Amino acid sequence: MSVAEPAAAPATDSPAVEARNLVKSFALGDTTLRVIAGVSLALRAGETAAITGPSGSGKSTLLHMLGTLERPTSGELRIAGADPFALSERALARLRNERIGFVFQDHHLLPQYTVLENMLLPALAFGRVDAARERRGRELLARVGLEARAAHRPAELSGGERQRAAIARALLLSPRLLLCDEPTGQLDAKSAAAVVELLLELHSDPAAAATAPALVVVTHNAAVAARLGRRFELVEGRCYEA
Amino acid sequence: MLRSLSYHRRAHLALALAVAVATAVLAGALVVGDSVRGSLRELALSRLGRVERVVVPERAFRDRLAGDWSREGAGTTAAALVVRASARHGESGSRASGVTVLGVDAAWEALFPGTPLSFAQPEGQLFPPVLLADALARELGAKVGDTVDLLLPTYSAIPRETLVGRQEARETVATLRLTVAGLQPERGLGGFRLDTRQAAPLNAVVERSRLARAIDARDRANLLVAGGGADRGATGPSSARTNAKAALARAVTLADLGLKLSTRGDEVIVESDRLVLDDALARRLATSVREAGATPTTVFTYLANRLRIGDREVPYSTVAALAQQAPAAGAAPAVGPDIAPFTVDGAPVSPLRPGEIALNAWAAEQLGAALGSQVELTYFAVGPRDALVERTATFRVASVVAMRGLGADPSLTPQLPGLSDAARMNEWDPPFPVNLARIHPVDEEYWSRYRAAPKAFVAFADGQRLWRSRFGAVSSLRLTPPAGTSAATFARTLEMTLPRAIGPAAGGLAVREVREEALSAGEGATDFAGLFLAFSFFLLAAALLLVALLEGLAVEARAREVGLLGALGFPARAVRRRLLAEAGAVSALGVLAGLGGAVGFAAVMLYGLRTWWVGAIGAPVLFLHVRPGTLLLGGGLSLAVVTITLAIAIARASRAPAARLLTGEVADPMRASKRSALAWWTMVTALAGAAVAVTAALGAGERAAPALAFAAGALVLVAGFAALADRWGRGRSWNRRRAFALHGPAWLAAGARNGARNRGRSLLAAALVACATFVLAVVAVNRGEADVDPLARGSGTGGFALVAESDVPIVADLNRRDVREDLGLVASGSEASQAALAGTTVIPFRLLPGEDASCLNLYQPRRPRVLGAPAEMIARGGFTFQALAKETPEPWRLLDEELGDGIVPAFADANSATWILKRGLGDDVVLADENGRPLRLRLVGLLKKSIFQSELLISERAFVRHFPNRGGASYFMIEAPGGEAQAREVGEALEAGLAPFGFDATSTAERLRAFAAVEGAYLQTFQALGGLGLLLGTVGLAVVLLRNALERRRELAMMSALGFRRAQLGGLVLAENLVLLAAGLALGLLAAAAATAPHLAAQAARVPWQPLGLTLLAVLAVGCLASLSAVAATVRSPLVHALKEE
Repeated sequence: MSVAEPAAAPATDSPAVEARNLVKSFALGDTTLRVIAGVSLALRAGETAAITGPSGSGKSTLLHMLGTLERPTSGELRIAGADPFALSERALARLRNERIGFVFQDHHLLPQYTVLENMLLPALAFGRVDAARERRGRELLARVGLEARAAHRPAELSGGERQRAAIARALLLSPRLLLCDEPTGQLDAKSAAAVVELLLELHSDPAAAATAPALVVVTHNAAVAARLGRRFELVEGRCYEA
Repeated sequence: MLRSLSYHRRAHLALALAVAVATAVLAGALVVGDSVRGSLRELALSRLGRVERVVVPERAFRDRLAGDWSREGAGTTAAALVVRASARHGESGSRASGVTVLGVDAAWEALFPGTPLSFAQPEGQLFPPVLLADALARELGAKVGDTVDLLLPTYSAIPRETLVGRQEARETVATLRLTVAGLQPERGLGGFRLDTRQAAPLNAVVERSRLARAIDARDRANLLVAGGGADRGATGPSSARTNAKAALARAVTLADLGLKLSTRGDEVIVESDRLVLDDALARRLATSVREAGATPTTVFTYLANRLRIGDREVPYSTVAALAQQAPAAGAAPAVGPDIAPFTVDGAPVSPLRPGEIALNAWAAEQLGAALGSQVELTYFAVGPRDALVERTATFRVASVVAMRGLGADPSLTPQLPGLSDAARMNEWDPPFPVNLARIHPVDEEYWSRYRAAPKAFVAFADGQRLWRSRFGAVSSLRLTPPAGTSAATFARTLEMTLPRAIGPAAGGLAVREVREEALSAGEGATDFAGLFLAFSFFLLAAALLLVALLEGLAVEARAREVGLLGALGFPARAVRRRLLAEAGAVSALGVLAGLGGAVGFAAVMLYGLRTWWVGAIGAPVLFLHVRPGTLLLGGGLSLAVVTITLAIAIARASRAPAARLLTGEVADPMRASKRSALAWWTMVTALAGAAVAVTAALGAGERAAPALAFAAGALVLVAGFAALADRWGRGRSWNRRRAFALHGPAWLAAGARNGARNRGRSLLAAALVACATFVLAVVAVNRGEADVDPLARGSGTGGFALVAESDVPIVADLNRRDVREDLGLVASGSEASQAALAGTTVIPFRLLPGEDASCLNLYQPRRPRVLGAPAEMIARGGFTFQALAKETPEPWRLLDEELGDGIVPAFADANSATWILKRGLGDDVVLADENGRPLRLRLVGLLKKSIFQSELLISERAFVRHFPNRGGASYFMIEAPGGEAQAREVGEALEAGLAPFGFDATSTAERLRAFAAVEGAYLQTFQALGGLGLLLGTVGLAVVLLRNALERRRELAMMSALGFRRAQLGGLVLAENLVLLAAGLALGLLAAAAATAPHLAAQAARVPWQPLGLTLLAVLAVGCLASLSAVAATVRSPLVHALKEE
């Protein structure tokens, strides 16, 4: 295994994520489409936030920028006080691997792997699956109620179960920032409620209070948004905190 | 549909390209077949000029027959004297054997327009002119103005293998020195040949009269040709054929049939210029003259070396046997009452019974004979190889004949060369040994008075028994004309009527429709369309699989559309029809493009056959011939095959329920694991079957082993596919965590597991690579030369070091020391070669010239060469048989079996029989014997990879029975002691000593290599096209991978979000491809190992590791490159966009 380049060291008093005047534009033929038109926000570890807005308002784009998946056209992004886009590709990947967790609308579980293997996938990006990782994986599966499904393949799970497995995967490496993009978008009301409950339960776990990540959830669901600490609304590319 | 075609244009373009490739291969193979047929036909016809039919008898006839034939209605005709000879360049001394010398005259110009045939000798030119075919000029290195010697067999009407036809070996060859006056192109008289073979003949064209003088065949010819402005009559070719035959029957004279008439007293004598009438001709003559009202008496006169009673002897006397009717066919002729001359007392001699002799009065007096005395009659018999054996028979004197009438009639003896024209006996110069010291004045006195009048008479049965040869047992017929007709008048009548009564066929004068034969043979021995379809099988299969893959992927990509149409109430069949119509329209365009490709493909294949694989056909004679009908057929076939493929692909890809299709999915994720048990059982059963097949192949005979071995390979492939299906189908449990990593071997393991994502596609791609690898590896191993001792009797050489042919048949026994001395063989060569030569054994075979029956001949042979294997060869044995009519420890004895009238047991090489003659064991190859009667050569043995691939083998006994006039041996198998170097020296010594005969010796190993080269060239072609198929397979692999990767872009984007780098993701995709590629290669190699194990074990063949390894490495490299490009395409685009496409 190669020696990994260390991720940017977080400053303990810095926000987990801080955006200053982020802009994202796309070229569409001769015209330019400005999807995000100067968004600024900051979240500290342990904080929870919802980003809401109509379809096409740029919620996912903003989330991808916060998660370093997409580079802003302009503006500044800081993760734990450091500019992630100044890092090399390898260091940026490591940052994403160790500091950021993602939960998408689709579970994106790999069909050829078991539930447990899918859970442990982030550990493979910069290392091996050792006993401690496996123990942590099994604990998380137990927390999300899928312990008995560890050896099953995703095709054998229900939609809610798949999403719970995806949440467990996002938490495997104890990220400082957990980004969820419409995590309940494909679920029925009951499953959606259970998933949100699980997210909040895991986030507010007293046993892990010291390492609780900042949680950002993009959602259409007002009920889900209402359960989160802060609420931002994206309108025509601009972000307003309620 | 147009919108849909436009919208999905990229997928359609890929599909059209794949269809174009399939069409190019399929139609291209058909065009190759057309081109081969067209080229062969064109070549054969160009070599015949305007000649349509020929007459090629075994014996020579009057050269004026050509004019007579034309006058009788055969159209434009010409005569030629054709002899096989060898040539020597006057200046450089370079030699060429197998030269055909065409003695022609100006009449040939009409049949080969544009070929001036002036043989006028320019002033100052020392030697007469000769026109050399380009091929011969190249072989000799001769140009216009050079001097060339032709070594020619001299002509003799009398068979050389008779007592009076024998000649010293050197006397049978004449030399003609000529100046090269011009060159003749291959497409014309320079390429004129009656047998069909693509190689250019080594023709030398000279003036017929000049050639005739040189070989002592004045006014003779042995080839008649007709054509050009032939009289076709009103009903076309068949009428022309009939007219030509009828015209020949009218034109033929007794001289053309080798017969001559003379009168003596009241009798007409019919004799042959061969000194002996064969049984069939004698029978026909007797029948015909009886019908004409004559009474025939059959006479058979032979030469006795001595007649002796006690110590009194008479040297060199002729003895006659007479019968009043011609003998019937066969060895036991029906003998009528013997002709009885009158006794000295004037009473008729009583009919002689077997064992009785009647002496004429002179002989009786010389011997002091009395009635009842025992007379010893000593005579020469001609044994095998021209050896004279002196034999003695004892007779009892039954009567003494008066010296008048038949008792002193020299006309009972035919004109014997060297004897009849001698004024005195001691001036005799016969072709057999005589001791002139034994001749006394009294003998000279008899000669002076009675010439060759027989001194004794024996019973006809005794004459036939003692002196019969294969040429016959009748010297002449003496005819008593019908009452009231003088001998002279009757002779004149017979001159007119007899030729028609006995017919030209009795003299071997039969019309051959040579143009028709050429057109028919031009169909070729090998179906090249089928051959190239077979060669291109994997290329075609790969293209069709690619079509199926692309269409399957295209439909899968449109799964939502298909699902939506289903949801909207469109019947599934209607949706499929729509998809098929769309794909069909694209395919039609692909087929059109492919037809252009077909012509290109065929052109490249033909170029290959003229260059890279020229070993397969021997001469670069094949050119592109495109027939629109063939292209239409190829296009139609392609469209049909592609449409079926598309229908299957569409049905498979669209059979999922609409609900699943609406989610964009086609495959049922739960389905795979249900099949693992079936896969497992299939694997176990197939492996067990493969083991059984390999074991059976090891113990099976030559015929069954290849099929069993191939079955074993196929079963291993099936087992492998099942294993892959099982591996990719089963779910993985966590206890296999060692495979769950992305570094080292686990990286590849991850790739292997990714193959399970779409098991069908992965299996298809791996199967394609496996099948092609299997074929390439099996072919490569079979190309490896077997470690067989070339001097082993069981090998393809039969243990012979050399094989030789001579242009001039050799009658003498080359194993006899005196013959070798006579030929100067002993005196020539170094000491070492002399030592080797001394221990050399030459086995001579009689040869009936014909067409090459081996794979070296592209034409379909109609008259294959036939060898007569002598008794010593049959006793010696050797070679290995692939199949025998019946198992016997001495298989060569099968040639001696009697199978019935007109059926002769024969051997052929198994490859030649199967692929060229299209015959199997027990089948007949029908030829015509010397008299035009059908002769069935029944295959009772098939030799395995022997040097006898160009000919059929029968026993010499059968050969001389059916082709009695084919004197001497022209084919030789030579056993030489020592190694290859000594064999070469022996060959050189024999070639030098027998140069006048055009003796050309070759190493048997080399001859075998030449045959193997053809097989090698075909295998090379197969390998090359199989390799192309493999390349196309790897393209398919890349397409599968790219498709898989594109389908998983969101997944890869998610992994990127989890912190995986692009290199890692690319590596993962690459690993998947490598695993598919490696699985295919490994599986193909395993199957090939199973299929070739029996061959390797049985023949100890060498595996050509290097080319095999290089081929597989090239495949691996191309596969890696293709997958790298797929990887690059996958990870180049921003993956994050995929996350938004939810």
